[in-house]
Amino acid sequence: MYEVRFHGRGGQGAVMAAQALAEAAVIEDKYAIAFPFFGAERRGAPVLAFTRIHDQKIYSRTQVYTPDCVVVLDDTLLDTVDITHGIKENGIAVINSTKKPEEIELGRKIRTAAVEATSIALELLKAPITNTAILGAFSRATGIVGIDSVEKAIMSRFGEKLGEVAGRKNAGAARMAYDRTETGMSSGGKEHAIRKQWLPEYRELPVGGVLGARTTDAGLIGPGSFIENKTGEWATFRPVRDRNRCTMCLACWFDCPEGCIIRIDNGKDLRTDYGYCKGCGICANECPVDAITMMRL
Amino acid sequence: MTAMRDLPDENLFVMGHTACPGCGVAISIRNALRILGKNTVVYVPASCGVVFSATYPHAAMKVPFLHTAFENTGACISGLKAAYEKKGKNVNVVGFAGDGGTYDIGLQSVSGAAERNEDVIYICLDNEAYMNTGIQRSGSTPFGAWTTTTPVGKLTRGKREFKKDLPEIMAAHDIPYLATLSVAHPADFIRKVEKAKTISGFRFLHMLTPCVPGWKIDQAKSIEILKLAVDTGMWTLYEFEYGERKVTYRPGKMRFVKDYLMMQGRFRHMSDEDIKRMQGWVCRKWGQHYGEKGSPEVCPVELPAEHHAITEDHRGMHGP
Ligand SMILES: Cc1ncc(C[n+]2csc(CCOP(=O)(O)OP(=O)(O)O)c2C)c(N)n1
Ligand code: SF4
Ligand code: SF4
Ligand code: SF4
Ligand SMILES: [Mg+2]
Repeated sequence: MYEVRFHGRGGQGAVMAAQALAEAAVIEDKYAIAFPFFGAERRGAPVLAFTRIHDQKIYSRTQVYTPDCVVVLDDTLLDTVDITHGIKENGIAVINSTKKPEEIELGRKIRTAAVEATSIALELLKAPITNTAILGAFSRATGIVGIDSVEKAIMSRFGEKLGEVAGRKNAGAARMAYDRTETGMSSGGKEHAIRKQWLPEYRELPVGGVLGARTTDAGLIGPGSFIENKTGEWATFRPVRDRNRCTMCLACWFDCPEGCIIRIDNGKDLRTDYGYCKGCGICANECPVDAITMMRL
Repeated sequence: MTAMRDLPDENLFVMGHTACPGCGVAISIRNALRILGKNTVVYVPASCGVVFSATYPHAAMKVPFLHTAFENTGACISGLKAAYEKKGKNVNVVGFAGDGGTYDIGLQSVSGAAERNEDVIYICLDNEAYMNTGIQRSGSTPFGAWTTTTPVGKLTRGKREFKKDLPEIMAAHDIPYLATLSVAHPADFIRKVEKAKTISGFRFLHMLTPCVPGWKIDQAKSIEILKLAVDTGMWTLYEFEYGERKVTYRPGKMRFVKDYLMMQGRFRHMSDEDIKRMQGWVCRKWGQHYGEKGSPEVCPVELPAEHHAITEDHRGMHGP
């Protein structure tokens, strides 16, 4: 049995990718299942999806804990998630990255395939949706399913949902990624900092207990502690403000959903905290004098 | 009234929360809390608002925050207020509930609290569907909108019922203060939240809050769409103060509802006939709110009043 774990962010289509991969395997007369990790995840938050492929019926319905392959739709995840966790010996990582495999730090040396799926998606689909391109890279790197089957599966799955033209474009993205995938070994320089287990577990809290703002060895907890969560990683675009044009009308400051546009210099200037900016583009859209431009990261 | 530039800088709804990029609920919560200030206690029922502002052990609000179940916002904030009063503390007790949690499952609870004139602020964050569980229709979902439970296909084309008029239901409770708000109209928004803060008794603030995946909109357009909601008459900014009704912002020129609908994927399948029905409904609302008919260009003929009884569409769905 071949087990795949997809790492993505909510909205990137990891679940659709897992399903299309399963369908590609079925096209090749194999058995396959695909399913997401159920969590209350917003767009941008880290998510998981799984595919199992086998030449016999599959009875296992648990999450994939020891994958043969991990597929990473967004390499900003590498900073916070140990994507190699549980990977089998000889396992392979397929990563959407602008780097070469040798330059990708995974905390250990493993077989790694890299492809610039975001650029391909922006070029062919005009949106940073990488879930189809990455399947082309998977096919190239593992050979578990052929690229023709991947294309067929994408056309059927995405075509059905988004229309035939979109289906074909997405299949084209997979083909282009197939042609451009590079394989090698990851860099294994520094050990991945494994996040400390948070204590106490919620089950250990007294009923009706109050969680105050505190610093624990697992980090901050309680009111305001979300400040630890650097949502700037979610962004594909970043707003850049032209100080000379800006009239300090404060529209962007009021409208930003994150609150990451901050007044400085006694209210005379603004600073955007890119550590949290999700790149939504509302500030640029609302600026009355077009002082803000969204730039590709 | 405080001008925008004089609002405090401190963010009581901190960065790092996990709402989708461009979330209208997040913009509304952030600015409402900014105006309400530190002396505030918040209750949030099951909704996007609780998931993106509090996932154990993290929380985004720098004020005391409580969460229990879905249907009881009115009851919870009533109890919180009573407890603080008992302790001799005067705090703003605020509930931030979704439209599902207000129009539908929480209606009994909010009605009870309003009828008892509890000294609390109830804020309905109306994104016009059950978004947290993946976009199911609510009593607030507009006519024609696609949701997972009002699909678009051969038998039916999105929701067949019109949006429930919740502010009117709340106004019928004769509460001290009620207002409809939009974060795209900041001066009006600031004035209304400030006013709610100073009045005692039950205060109901109803905010229209665009949702990026649920409305299928460009994440940069949440504010733009909200402005258009007001300019088309899909949303009216008004208030009720001790039974006195007042429109607080009047759009310069009435725009076609089609402009609003076509910006959103949830409406894009709508037929010309359905758009016409929607325009008729909006024109009628416009007349009710502004006391005069919408512009003759947009509302040319006397359209028949939309009735909510069984329609042809219902027969198609449920059989004869
Ligand atoms: C009694 C009960 N039924 C169902 C649920 C599941 N549930 C959690 S959030 C939610 C949707 C909330 O919708 P809404 O109130 O409109 O808030 P939104 O997520 O759209 O902001 C549902 C159905 C629940 N938590 N409790
Ligand atoms: S792009 Fe969005 S998140 Fe970033 S600063 Fe602008 S409004 Fe805020
Ligand atoms: S919206 Fe534009 S003009 Fe206004 S403060 Fe922001 S950058 Fe400056
Ligand atoms: S689903 Fe909608 S309401 Fe919920 S966080 Fe995302 S944009 Fe906001
Ligand atoms: Mg809702």
